[in-house]
Amino acid sequence: MLDAFIDGLFLVLQWKAFSLMLVGMGLGFCVGLLPGIGGAATLALMIPFVFKMQPAEAFAFLLGMHSVAATTGDITSVLFGVPGEAISAATVVDGYPMAKKGEAGRALGAALMSSLLGALIGAVALALAIPIVRPLVLAFGSPELFMLSVIGISCITSLSGEGARGQIKGFAMGLFGLLVSTIGQERQSGTLRFDMGMMYLWEGLDFVPVLVGVFAIPEIIDLAVRGTAIAGDQPQEKLSSGVMDGIKDTFRHFWLVFRCSVIGVFVGILPGAGGGVAQWMAYAHAVQSAKDAKDRERFGKGDVRGVLGPGAANNSKEGGELIPTVAFGVPGSGAMAILLSGFLIMGLTPGPDMLTKHLAITFSMVWTLAIANIVTVLLCLTILDQIAKVTYVRGSLIIPFILLLVFVGSYTANNQIADLVVTAIFGAISYFMVLFAWPRPPFVLGFVLGKVIETYLFISMTRYGFSWLTHPTVIFLIAVMAFVIVYPYMQKRRWRDGSSDDA
Amino acid sequence: MRNGRILYCVFLLFVAGYAIYQASGWSFKTALFPLAVSIPLLALLTIQLVQIIFGKTEVDSGAAVDVEFSSDVPPEIERRRVIGTFAWIIGFILSVFLIGFPLTVPLFIFSYLKFQSDVGWLGTVVATVITWGCFYGLFQWLVHIQFEDGVIQAWLGL
Repeated sequence: MLDAFIDGLFLVLQWKAFSLMLVGMGLGFCVGLLPGIGGAATLALMIPFVFKMQPAEAFAFLLGMHSVAATTGDITSVLFGVPGEAISAATVVDGYPMAKKGEAGRALGAALMSSLLGALIGAVALALAIPIVRPLVLAFGSPELFMLSVIGISCITSLSGEGARGQIKGFAMGLFGLLVSTIGQERQSGTLRFDMGMMYLWEGLDFVPVLVGVFAIPEIIDLAVRGTAIAGDQPQEKLSSGVMDGIKDTFRHFWLVFRCSVIGVFVGILPGAGGGVAQWMAYAHAVQSAKDAKDRERFGKGDVRGVLGPGAANNSKEGGELIPTVAFGVPGSGAMAILLSGFLIMGLTPGPDMLTKHLAITFSMVWTLAIANIVTVLLCLTILDQIAKVTYVRGSLIIPFILLLVFVGSYTANNQIADLVVTAIFGAISYFMVLFAWPRPPFVLGFVLGKVIETYLFISMTRYGFSWLTHPTVIFLIAVMAFVIVYPYMQKRRWRDGSSDDA
Repeated sequence: MRNGRILYCVFLLFVAGYAIYQASGWSFKTALFPLAVSIPLLALLTIQLVQIIFGKTEVDSGAAVDVEFSSDVPPEIERRRVIGTFAWIIGFILSVFLIGFPLTVPLFIFSYLKFQSDVGWLGTVVATVITWGCFYGLFQWLVHIQFEDGVIQAWLGL
C-alpha cells in the first residue's frame, strides 16, 4: 500500500506527466474564470487529446484541469459577483459584498486557501475511503438519495430570513425554484410541462444561464446605479494585507472549513447530488455556525465564513466524486462520467483492479488533486493583489466586459440565443428578489435539486411503493432532516434565552 | 416600494396559479410534483400578500441571507440607471439576434465605452480591438464554439 502511494507520487512527478498537469492547470484556470464553459465541458473537449498518453499522464492532465477549474471559479464570484462555475454560485453571496467593502483580497485569500484545504481533505478522503466505501455506496439506493436531496432542501430554514415572514419568503422561494426545475419533458412519461410551445424548453432550463442571470445581473445593475468602482470609496491600502488576512481566516475557522470539506466529500460520494448541492449545504452549515442572532445577520453582507464554507466544499467534493468512479465505475457527476470514458480509453476498468493491480495509478490521482491545487493556490497568491485591484476600476469601465463575460458564458450552455433571453429574464426576476428582500439562495437550492428529487421520488415509488419510508437508513435520514429544519429555531431560542440571561 | 412589493407578489402568485391550472390537465404522475410544489407556493404567497397589504411594515421579516442594494443614490437617478442598464442588456440580445455574436461583441464594447462610459476615441478603439481579439482567439479559434448568424446575415444570404 505504502509502495503504491509513493509510486503514485513518482508517476505524477515524471517530467511528462508533470508538464501535462501544468498545461491542464493552465486550461482549468481559464475555464474556471469563464462562466458557462464548465469543467465538464472542457473535460469532454480534451478527452481526444489523451489517446496517446500513458494513464498517469492522462489523469494528471485531465484531473489537473478539472480540479483547478473549481478553485479559480471562485475568483469571478468574488470580484464581479459572476459565478465562474455553476458550483461557485454560493461564494457570490458573501464574497462579492466583501469586494464591495474593499476586502476583495481577503475574500480571495480565504476562497483560495479554503479551496486548497478542501482539495487536500478530499484527496486524503479518496486515499482512505477507497477500501471501505463500498458498504456506504451500496446502502444508498434511490429512497436514500431522495431523502438526502430533501435534507439539502431543508437547509432553506437556515438560508431564509428570521421571523415568520422571513421563513415564509424563504420557503416560497425554495418552492419557486423547485417549480422552475419542472419545466421541460417529464422524464418518466415524456409529457411536456410548461414548454409554452417552445422546443428550447423541452430539455428544461440549463443551470448556467439561470444561475448567471440570478447572481450576475442584479450585481451589474447595482454597480451601474452606484456609479462607482466595485469597492466604492474604500481605501486601497487594505488590499495587500487582505490576502494574508483571508489566509489567517481560513485557519482561524479551521473546524468550519474541515466540516464543510467533509460535507463536500460526502455529497460527492453520492451519485447525482454534485457540487451544486454541496456548496449550498456547506453555506447553510456556515450560517448555522453563527454564535447569535447578530452574528447571523452578518451573512450575506460580507462574512468571510460564507466564503470559506462553499470554497472548501467545492473542492473536497472532487475527491469524493472520484471515490465511486474509481472503485465501482459509478460516476458521481457529469464530469466524472466523462472522466470514466478516459479510463476506458486508457484500457483501465474501474473497480477492484484499480484497488489492486493499478493502485499506483489510483494514488497518482490523489497526488494530482493535491499537487495541482497547491501549485494553483501558490501561483494565485502571488498575483492576488493585482487581480483584486480590478475592484477599484471605475464601474462604467468594467460593466461592458462583465456583461460580455455573462452573456458569452450563458450562450455557451446550449449555443442558442434563447440562453441569453433566459439569463435576462432570470436577471430581472432576481433583481426584484433582491430589491424586495426575497432571498435568492433558497430559490437556487430548489432549482438545482428539483430534478434530482423528482427523479429519485419516482424511482422509489415505482420500485418500493410507500414501503421505502420504512427503510432504516431512510428513517435515520428523516430524523436528520427534522433536525436540520428544527435546529435554526432551537438556535434562535437559545440565543434569546442567552440574551435574557445577560439582561 | 409597497406597491412594488405587492406587484411582485402578485406576479409570483400568477406563476403559481398558472402552474396549477396547467398541471390539472396532466396525468397523475406528471402533475404530482408540480402540484405538490405549486399549491403550497400559492398558499405561502397568499399569506405573504395579505401581510404586505394589511400587516405591519417589514420590521419583522428579519435579514434575508443575501446581498442588499446600495441605498445612497437618489431614487430618480437610481430608476434612470436601472432602466438604462436593462436597455443595454436588451440591446445586446437584440443585436445578437440581428447580426450574430461575433459582430455584436466589438459593436457593444465600442458603443458602451464611447457613449455610456465616455472614454476617449483611442481608448475605445484599443479596448474594442483587444476584446474582439480575445473573443475570437479563445472562443472561435481555440474552443470552436459555433455562434449562430444573425437574421440579417441569413436574410442577405451571407
